[in-house]
Amino acid sequence: MRIFAQLEAALYCLPAAMAGALKKTTGLVGLAVAENPHEHLRILYTKILAALQDIPKDAAYRKYTEQIVNERFNMVKTNSQEPNVQKLEDKMKSGQIEEVIIQAESELSLARKMAQWKPWEPLVEEPPTDQWRWPI
Amino acid sequence: PCGLGVTAPLSVVYDAIATRSLLFFPATVRPKDEVAQNQLCAFGEYVAEILPKYIQQVQVTCFNELEIFIHPDGIVPILTFLRDHTNAQFKSLADLTAIDVPTRQYRFEIVYNLLSLRFNSRIRVKTYTDELTPVDSAVSVHQAANWYEREVWDMYGIFFANHPDLRRILTDYGFEGHPFRKDFPLSGYVEVRYDDEVKRVVAEPVELAQEFRKFDLNSPWETFPAYRTAPETLKLEAGEKKGDTK
Amino acid sequence: MAAAGAGKVAKAAGAAVKPIFSRDLGEAKRRVRELYRAWYREVPNAVHLYQLDISVKQGRDKVREMFMKNAHVTDPRVIDILVIKGKMELQETTRVWKQRTHIMRFFHETETPRPKDFLSKFYAGHDP
Repeated sequence: MRIFAQLEAALYCLPAAMAGALKKTTGLVGLAVAENPHEHLRILYTKILAALQDIPKDAAYRKYTEQIVNERFNMVKTNSQEPNVQKLEDKMKSGQIEEVIIQAESELSLARKMAQWKPWEPLVEEPPTDQWRWPI
Repeated sequence: PCGLGVTAPLSVVYDAIATRSLLFFPATVRPKDEVAQNQLCAFGEYVAEILPKYIQQVQVTCFNELEIFIHPDGIVPILTFLRDHTNAQFKSLADLTAIDVPTRQYRFEIVYNLLSLRFNSRIRVKTYTDELTPVDSAVSVHQAANWYEREVWDMYGIFFANHPDLRRILTDYGFEGHPFRKDFPLSGYVEVRYDDEVKRVVAEPVELAQEFRKFDLNSPWETFPAYRTAPETLKLEAGEKKGDTK
Repeated sequence: MAAAGAGKVAKAAGAAVKPIFSRDLGEAKRRVRELYRAWYREVPNAVHLYQLDISVKQGRDKVREMFMKNAHVTDPRVIDILVIKGKMELQETTRVWKQRTHIMRFFHETETPRPKDFLSKFYAGHDP
């Protein structure tokens, strides 16, 4: 049994060594390893920043999202000098790089929707008195 | 393997109870978690700052649960924001239900419980409606809302606009009324029996004999009935004169 | 009963209420007519599918009776809710999710009328 285990380990190590410590799997169902995460993230972050241009400058959503995106964008930029996915993941502290890509994708779709919803406007309607009083 | 009460002799158990009551234990108080509470407060303020159009009130309960109260127009924007924003990521809709408070102008409260797996935190979103005001369906944001909304429609009669497949889920076909409304009688409207003449199950208006009309609030599985004081019978007291009606 | 309660709510909420589907009474009435037509066409089909012991005429009379029961409702939103419920009922009938008992419940065949005057109450033996 033990011989088999060692053999198996060797088998798995071999392609990894050849491909230069590339990730084989994310370990998450339905989430494939990203081919070129730096490029992918660069495109997504540029798009988010472009989408945020439609939102007024003083809107809290734009302010906070730009802050988050710029911070991550800078990490990606500095890391793409000598690409190391592992280091980037550790620095971002937001899961694996594939998850970060998903987060950026959903942020992009949200930013586009937010421009239509205009949630920075004042409250649409006050609640009726006693609506939120509990216990009644 | 077995519980202490089963294996130990009776006297030992009594001794343990006696010594325990002699020693002074401090009252059991839930420890206050300042850090978690401050985090929740900060996040609540963050969300309220970003979406002032829809959020009416934000509060953190004494059990460290963050609740945001929103206008019914904002259901889809708020749930989408909480799902898609990088600092929120409430990807999972744990629960959706309603509450009926008939004295209010908008008698139903709708409650969304969300879970963020990334940040291991929960949030509760509440909104309101009445019997005739349609509410936007959350199915476009969370697929899990499909069955929950059918359940709320069935039990409370709240209509969800743009729901892909709104129909009954729990009650029988032909059932009338919405059982979780406070004005729905405890015994229901119809009773069902098999009729041998027409060879099928028939439903007839419920007709309770007087001895079955007494609803006592005791549990039938009471373990020590002899050592319990009977719950007080319901008494109607003369109401106070109130200045305002609402 | 539900309609009466609903009318009160609509008055309390004022004129500017969010419509369900219909913006005015005419549109709501059009929806009711559409639903009535669909039910009218469905009756022979249902009698055949469920092998009911009633004639098509009886079935259609019952449909008419059920519609006329809510004839007094004038609030478009209440009409819309009733139409929505009627549509769900129709779907349950056409797709044979119901069984014969559910259809025949509309006809109240086994129910004895409540005793009204003193003597028949006395004969019934208990006070219902």
